[in-house]
Amino acid sequence: MSMFMYSKTYFFKPKIVNFIPLRSIKAKVPNTFVNEVDKDGFRILELFPTKIKKTVKYQKSIPIFTGREQKMPVDQDWPTVWPSQKTFQPHSVPLPVRQGYPKPGEGPFSKIANTELMKIPNFLHLTPPAIKRHCEALKQFCTEWPKELDSDAKCTEHFPLEVLYSDYCYSGPSIRDPLSRIITFKVKLSSLKLDYHAKDKILRLAGNRYDYTSDIITIITDRCPMRKQNYDYATYLLIALYHESWRKEDWENEKALADMEYYDWEKNQSKKNLVTIYAWPEIPQDFNYAHIPHAEEYKVAVSELINNGEDEHSINKYKQVVKKLMFFKPEKNHSTESE
Amino acid sequence: CRSKESIRCYSVFPKHYTKPIFRKEEQDELVTNEKFQAATYLSFKPACIDETSSEFYDPLVSKFINYLIKQGKKSSARYLLERAFLSIKMIQLQAYNSCDSNDKEKIELDPKVILRNAVENAKPVMELTQIKRAGQVYKVPIPIDSRRSRLLAIRWLIQAAKEKTRTDFLYDRLAHELIQAHNNQGRTIKKKQELYKQCQANKSYAHFRW
Amino acid sequence: MNLFNRFILRIKKSTNLRNTSSFAETMELSDEILPSIYTRETDPVYHNESHLNKLYNIPSKDCATILSHGLMNQYKIQLKIFNEMSILIRKPSIELLSYLSKSDYAKPVNKYVIYGECGSGKSTLLYHLLHYGYNTNKIIVYVNHAQYWFTKPKEIKYSEIERNIIDLPIDTRIWLDKFKLLNNHILCQANIKLSKSYKWGTGANFPKDSSLIDLINFGIDQTRYASEIVAALVNELKQASRIGLCNVLVLIDNYNIFFSHYTQIKNSLKKFALTSEFSLTQNFLEITKSDWCNGQIIVTVDTAVNKDRQESHLPRYLLTKEGFEHLDPFLPINVENYSEDEFYTMIDYYKHKKLIRSLTSNGEKELKLLSGYNPYKLMDLCKHL
Repeated sequence: MSMFMYSKTYFFKPKIVNFIPLRSIKAKVPNTFVNEVDKDGFRILELFPTKIKKTVKYQKSIPIFTGREQKMPVDQDWPTVWPSQKTFQPHSVPLPVRQGYPKPGEGPFSKIANTELMKIPNFLHLTPPAIKRHCEALKQFCTEWPKELDSDAKCTEHFPLEVLYSDYCYSGPSIRDPLSRIITFKVKLSSLKLDYHAKDKILRLAGNRYDYTSDIITIITDRCPMRKQNYDYATYLLIALYHESWRKEDWENEKALADMEYYDWEKNQSKKNLVTIYAWPEIPQDFNYAHIPHAEEYKVAVSELINNGEDEHSINKYKQVVKKLMFFKPEKNHSTESE
Repeated sequence: CRSKESIRCYSVFPKHYTKPIFRKEEQDELVTNEKFQAATYLSFKPACIDETSSEFYDPLVSKFINYLIKQGKKSSARYLLERAFLSIKMIQLQAYNSCDSNDKEKIELDPKVILRNAVENAKPVMELTQIKRAGQVYKVPIPIDSRRSRLLAIRWLIQAAKEKTRTDFLYDRLAHELIQAHNNQGRTIKKKQELYKQCQANKSYAHFRW
Repeated sequence: MNLFNRFILRIKKSTNLRNTSSFAETMELSDEILPSIYTRETDPVYHNESHLNKLYNIPSKDCATILSHGLMNQYKIQLKIFNEMSILIRKPSIELLSYLSKSDYAKPVNKYVIYGECGSGKSTLLYHLLHYGYNTNKIIVYVNHAQYWFTKPKEIKYSEIERNIIDLPIDTRIWLDKFKLLNNHILCQANIKLSKSYKWGTGANFPKDSSLIDLINFGIDQTRYASEIVAALVNELKQASRIGLCNVLVLIDNYNIFFSHYTQIKNSLKKFALTSEFSLTQNFLEITKSDWCNGQIIVTVDTAVNKDRQESHLPRYLLTKEGFEHLDPFLPINVENYSEDEFYTMIDYYKHKKLIRSLTSNGEKELKLLSGYNPYKLMDLCKHL
């Protein structure tokens, strides 16, 4: 109720009288109050008074916040500033680092609030003096490198097993990488003590893990979650491979011609062919080739052709031998005929 | 912006790039020429795949191949013309071997010469265009330049080969057509003469050109 | 001395039934002025090193018989263009001819395997040898389109005798027909009798000592027995040459197709058949065995035929293990690309025959570079010039 009353009492009715323009007219009036005098002693009338220039008041400059990196001394001890691996912090690094894909006509982004710099792993804790200091600290736990192992050849001779694994640096929440569990064993086949049978068997067992060009067996294990487990498994595999190749099972005596690792002419069809041709028209009872001339050469040529792979040279050699085996009329008759 | 880009993408090379000089003899000629000094400052486009300095290169042949192309298959078009050349040779050589020794010189054995003559014989001098005057469309004979006439000649040759009966291969038909055009016979030449007749009939409209 | 010897040989030759007329042919040729790229010696029997890098003409009257087995398309075109059948005498053919002339026919057959890159002239070499066999009165067992039997045969029939064997009756009959055309003269002359009796069904009955030509004619008439008759023919030819009735020359082009695993035909088990399941394969493998004498076996191996093996052109790779064991020991003969001299001979020949008319030295250089001295590629490049 009181509100209503209040509003009623202050009700304002607009009237034309109320809209009287209150406009101030500023005319440019000649300045008559000038005291300056010209050279003849007359006062100067300024019809268009010159504007009095306002003196600009400069604001008091606000001090800009400068990072810690500005105040760092040049000869400071850097490993103490950045002792371990951490995410990039712009105000701790006194370097004008830039990173990021620039827009056309601009440079790359500066280091402050630069996520690109924060994402990538940095190696600021691994400066040469830091590494040197680490090494110095670790030295007391190390033994001296044996003087005899002065070359790589000697290292491989005395330590034929090469174990490879990888560690990964991370600035994320976890320091573990799943790839670090993988273990690779590399052994030269020549460094293992194997006889003919064992070598043949180890090659069959290893399959494509053996590289013929470098003579290296490579075992990669990544089945277990931990590196230690994988290492143990690889060791077990290598030992099993070695001992299994030395063992000779009963069924290995049943090795057929198709299972042979090399071409044996004596057991193959080629020998039978040769003997049957020379025994023709009789059918040979025993495949003895001692009486056939050049049979030994032929044996070598065929075995070389198949064992060493076929090329123009081996084909030519085979051809020369076969030419001797072919049934040609004796040369004498031929020469008399031409006379 | 987009349209600008599309224009740029149309050709990898800017407009001021000039066409390459890929023939050895032309290059040698240029070296002796006064223009050589100016040419050293020009930027050149690389040569197209069919532009070679080969002994066997013929600009008309490569032009003909380009008109034969279907679906961008240049290799098959090239095979088609080369096979047609072989057919031309087979026809001409058989005629050559069977005729008397006096007539042998008259038989043209070079398929490229036959092609050149065929195109030359099939080239029209004028053409009919439709021009609208006073609400009526007239067919007006106009003279054409050498490029247009070469285009029409090659197009007619190919069309005539394709129109023939489909019992034998296109290269055989093309070979026959080329030999006939070489001898001033055949469908292509007939087509040219028909066009001339029409031009003659519409001679009175010739002033509509202006 | 040499001339005298040649004269004797000529007389010997004229007693030969086939060559009486070819003597007249040589006389005919001598009237013309032959360019230096040709040799007058049209009989491959007398070809030797002195004829190297030269062309010789197969007499036109023999052409029809020699080419009775048909030609590949490219050869057909060449025949049309050149209006003659001429063959370049090359090193491997001279080598092979010398082997053939000095081989001992009382001993088991010698085998030769011709190998080389695609288009290097292996099939042409076979034509040269075919002409040799024709002129020396040999029965020629010639196969040149074996690859089409296994890809697009005219008819397939599962054999009546053995279920797993596939017969190609029409193709076999066509082959028999061509065989008869090629060897009709010799078969009549030699008069080969069957060594044992054959009986297939009621109508087909051939007692011992009946004529071989009757057997072949029967195979041509009665298509369904063609496959069995080819088997019998192979058997009889071997038997006859063993006795010495005839001399057999076996020429098989693209022999490695018989050891390929690639066919487009399904067998009775609805699976893609191997080439060894065909009766024709078995017959031609039978004739390339070395258990007979008085014959020669010459085969070629080519990468173009065998879809499984295309990495190398060498014989052991193309023949595979089975093929090698089947043929071994054989004499491998390499047919190489053109030498410099052969290249110029061929260019001269093309110029003589108006295939190409004018060629500058630069053009020759370009052709050399583009073809890489490969005969097929050279011909292909010259076709449209």
